[in-house]
Amino acid sequence: MSGTIRHRPRRRIADRHVAWVFLTPFLIVYVAFLVYPFFKGLWISLHHWNLLAVAMNPDAAKWVGLRNYTHLMWGRGIVWGPLSHPLVQLFALAVAVGAGLLHRAGRTNRSFMITLIVAGALVFFLLGFTPGEGGRWFDRRFWPTVGNTILFVALAAPGTTIAALLLAAALNRETKMMAVFRSIFFLSQVLSVTVVTLIWQIMFSPTQGLIANVTRIFGGSPISWLTDERFAMIAIVITTIWWSLGIAMILFLAGMQDISAEIYEAAALDNARGWKAFWYITLPNLKRTITLVVVLQIILHFQVFGQSHLMTQGGPDDRTQVLVRYIYQTAFRDSEIGRAAAMAMFLFVIMAVFSALQFFIAREGEE
Amino acid sequence: MKRIALGLALAAGMATNVAAAPITINLARFFGACENAGTDTHTTVGEACIIQSIINAANEKIPGVKINTLPTDWGNYYDHIKAMFAASNPPDIFVIHRSALPEFASIGALADVGPDLKSVGIDTSDWTAGAKKAVTYGKHIYAVPMDFHANLWHVNMDIMKKAGLVKDGKPILPHSPAELLAQAKQVKEKTGKDYLAADFSQFPIGVRLVLSLIWQQNSNIFNGHKATIDTPQALNAVEAITQLFKGGYADPKLNYADSQQAFLNGKAAVLVNGDWVVGDFTNQVKKPDVALKHYYVSTFPQLFQSPATWADNHTWAIPASLKKHDPKKYHAALEVAAFIYNHNLDWARTGHMSVRKSVLNSSAYKALPHRSEYIDTPSIAKDVPRTVHYNKIQDVLNRNLQSIWLTGKDPKKALAEAQSEVQDILDQ
Amino acid sequence: MTARQRSYIWLCIGLSIPAFVWLLPTLWMVSLSFQPNGVLARTTASTALGLVPVPFTAANYAKLFAFGETPRWFFNSLVVAVGMTLGVLVVSTTAGYALARLEFRFKKTVMIFILLGLMVPEQAVFLPLYTMFADLRWHNSYGALMLPRIAVPIGVFLMMQFFKAIPKDIEEAARIDGVGPFRIFWHIMLPLARPAMMTLAILTFLYAWNDYLWPLVSASQKTMFTITLGLASMQSNFAQSEGLGRVMASGVIASLPVVILFLIFQRYVVQAMTVGGSKG
Repeated sequence: MSGTIRHRPRRRIADRHVAWVFLTPFLIVYVAFLVYPFFKGLWISLHHWNLLAVAMNPDAAKWVGLRNYTHLMWGRGIVWGPLSHPLVQLFALAVAVGAGLLHRAGRTNRSFMITLIVAGALVFFLLGFTPGEGGRWFDRRFWPTVGNTILFVALAAPGTTIAALLLAAALNRETKMMAVFRSIFFLSQVLSVTVVTLIWQIMFSPTQGLIANVTRIFGGSPISWLTDERFAMIAIVITTIWWSLGIAMILFLAGMQDISAEIYEAAALDNARGWKAFWYITLPNLKRTITLVVVLQIILHFQVFGQSHLMTQGGPDDRTQVLVRYIYQTAFRDSEIGRAAAMAMFLFVIMAVFSALQFFIAREGEE
Repeated sequence: MKRIALGLALAAGMATNVAAAPITINLARFFGACENAGTDTHTTVGEACIIQSIINAANEKIPGVKINTLPTDWGNYYDHIKAMFAASNPPDIFVIHRSALPEFASIGALADVGPDLKSVGIDTSDWTAGAKKAVTYGKHIYAVPMDFHANLWHVNMDIMKKAGLVKDGKPILPHSPAELLAQAKQVKEKTGKDYLAADFSQFPIGVRLVLSLIWQQNSNIFNGHKATIDTPQALNAVEAITQLFKGGYADPKLNYADSQQAFLNGKAAVLVNGDWVVGDFTNQVKKPDVALKHYYVSTFPQLFQSPATWADNHTWAIPASLKKHDPKKYHAALEVAAFIYNHNLDWARTGHMSVRKSVLNSSAYKALPHRSEYIDTPSIAKDVPRTVHYNKIQDVLNRNLQSIWLTGKDPKKALAEAQSEVQDILDQ
Repeated sequence: MTARQRSYIWLCIGLSIPAFVWLLPTLWMVSLSFQPNGVLARTTASTALGLVPVPFTAANYAKLFAFGETPRWFFNSLVVAVGMTLGVLVVSTTAGYALARLEFRFKKTVMIFILLGLMVPEQAVFLPLYTMFADLRWHNSYGALMLPRIAVPIGVFLMMQFFKAIPKDIEEAARIDGVGPFRIFWHIMLPLARPAMMTLAILTFLYAWNDYLWPLVSASQKTMFTITLGLASMQSNFAQSEGLGRVMASGVIASLPVVILFLIFQRYVVQAMTVGGSKG
């Protein structure tokens, strides 16, 4: 007893100092290579900053305030209307309303519902802007590029999620065979983006590709996947699903392990097996995992770069141009690092929203 | 070991300039990678191996200079060069196109090599007029020219013969857009093959094709600070090509590798591509499993009022910072440039054309395979006006032409949009 | 019982089709890498759609190791991935331990400060990082390739979660015996944290090995390429001078370490991905 009393004051002081000693290595690299660069990026985005010119002469950076942002996102003679892009706008509105209804029916959790409503409303509102008579966007490529990125995410995220969910449901058994299957489906996940694009570039080639070779056997004429406007986006989505299915599948499997066998046994007595069990037991119990996987996929795929850069070079006609590639090009091909930094900030805001969402969902589940 | 020995010598205070430490020159180029190129510059084949053998030879033969070759991938080449400049770590010597030179020269990135060329034995009076223009920006010379290259028509003579389009051992090429269509039809009907293949979908070969046809009508895509793309001439040029796609005589969806493959596999009568494949194709034809057997090269045909073809130059530049801060290394880099320049004939084996009058007039040059078939190409080379925005403008054209060919956009609309996009760039 | 077994067999058969399709691209890459370039230039479907490497050659691999840059890139990747992994382990375990087990002022503030970093994607900072390293003339070095990636809050977060879950009494007992905090960390906490460190190490190694964007802008000299970047440079070579088989062989070589790592530590990799995915 007396021993602890003697020790305590010394230990307290030590604790405080020790904590900082332990924290310092991380804080140094963190501040130097993440926090500081982040604010420097913000700083750069407020300048007309030519990569080459500034390298030759540091005074060449010129303060322009928010002009990089307006140049990217705004235009001349922009007007707003509820039906500027009727199809997409109405769809967004429907998503927002649908999310509300779904929540009432108890099929989604709260954060996700709120996000869908906010996102739907936002898309409805933002897409209302369009250049009026004689008007134009200052940067014609920015919004289409954002649109492509969203389209990519909208295809790749649900595609991966659904495929992974079905596979996980089928593979959720502790047998040797299933373990082998799991490994096979997971294997592509560990490959690097350049290996993945290398494989699929050749797979899709109309002259040398495996797909073309198969098509020829059946007497069809091969598709030019990567240069045909109808297929280019699909092609990089297929590539992406092949690449990133593993992690989603594993997360689902982990989620399914948590559902107790008793529930299934009880359901089996009510004759709910196979599809029925999947629909009435697995899905509702996986709600949180599904949401998490979707959000994770959204975050992951919003940062897509390699697939577009290496496989299609953003083409044909910019149909697969994505945000990160536009940032890269603006900075290193066009040397306009100020404008590129503004785009990076735009990307950050979107990512931050989804990261926060993911964080809350993860916490919601833990509570 | 050499370095250590030298260090010891220095430490002992015995160093004189007997054995100066070798100067390492970082050299950046594209053209692809070639390992095991050796140092024999006379036997290598293809751009990658010929240039690397010349570099290897320079490494061996220039005393006190070691050459370290930097990136070789084309896709990110200029991005990398810029990134290196921005990091104050540019290569000591690098390949640059005539078209890209203004962007670098205009901000003072390149060394004015003009006054120093004599010191490494380069006589500018041997340069063709075009070459001199290529490396000059303002009043100064910023690079040493290596070649002149242009778009050519590569022809599969067997297909042409079968289609009845050969006369006196030469292919019959069109003289108007209508004739182009008629001949394409003829080829399709008689042989079932495509008339023309080219990369219309990624690398800007299609852009260069259209540019040539615009120039053939004595028009251009901009004039001073005014973009002039939304013109009847540009529309004519575009439609001369699109009619082939519509008729099914060419496939706009081929990319660079696929179009080349299609031609070598005997699936298209004509390949439009640069002269850089001539040497390689000449070699491919000899292989038993290559379908292309009788290969002919032709100057870009004249479809409108005057002849014209797209052309550019490869030149070697040195950073201004090197000249300013490290004269010794600068001189070494110049020596490397001179060495490459002196192997102009070897480089011409790729298919590229020489920039030296003495080489052009030599019998060895004229005897290079297929050379006589496109000997008049230099005289019809045209270009866009000089601009620091060349690569950006080319990208605008590439995207908008792709939108016509690959996404079915109305040509007039696409050209109008290209015009306003280029105008934005010119207004900067 | 028999009905269930039968349905299980049907499931296995049903799954083997997508599994085979899933495996096809990888198999094809391996098969192409063992075929002669000359043949591939003509056709990629020599035998069984090219899935069987006949005609066979190992020349692509031999050449790869004899001349190419691939061994050097491979080595660079190894240095960067191992270095980054060690770096992340050091800073994450120490910081994670401090946040989980030690009391100090501003703890909450520091924690939030670090958690906020989770929101910043690398693409949002790679440009300023580029100019920073440029100003320091630090590009084309192992340091430049590694350092920005060591500053990832996710590692700290993972380790903090793990240390929090360790029962307090082990540590308390040691303290009563007068063991100093550094020794407690080194001799007691770290051994306990081995599984979590394994998880973090695998996550980091995979990430480092497969990183593309940052090496693309930072490493402009070929000698400093990582294998991932080198492979990209071979792809965009429009001259395709190296031949399909060669490029494919490089792809196989580039994938080998991660695939082997995966096969040996499959359990950990899966666990790492699960943890990284649900918490990151």
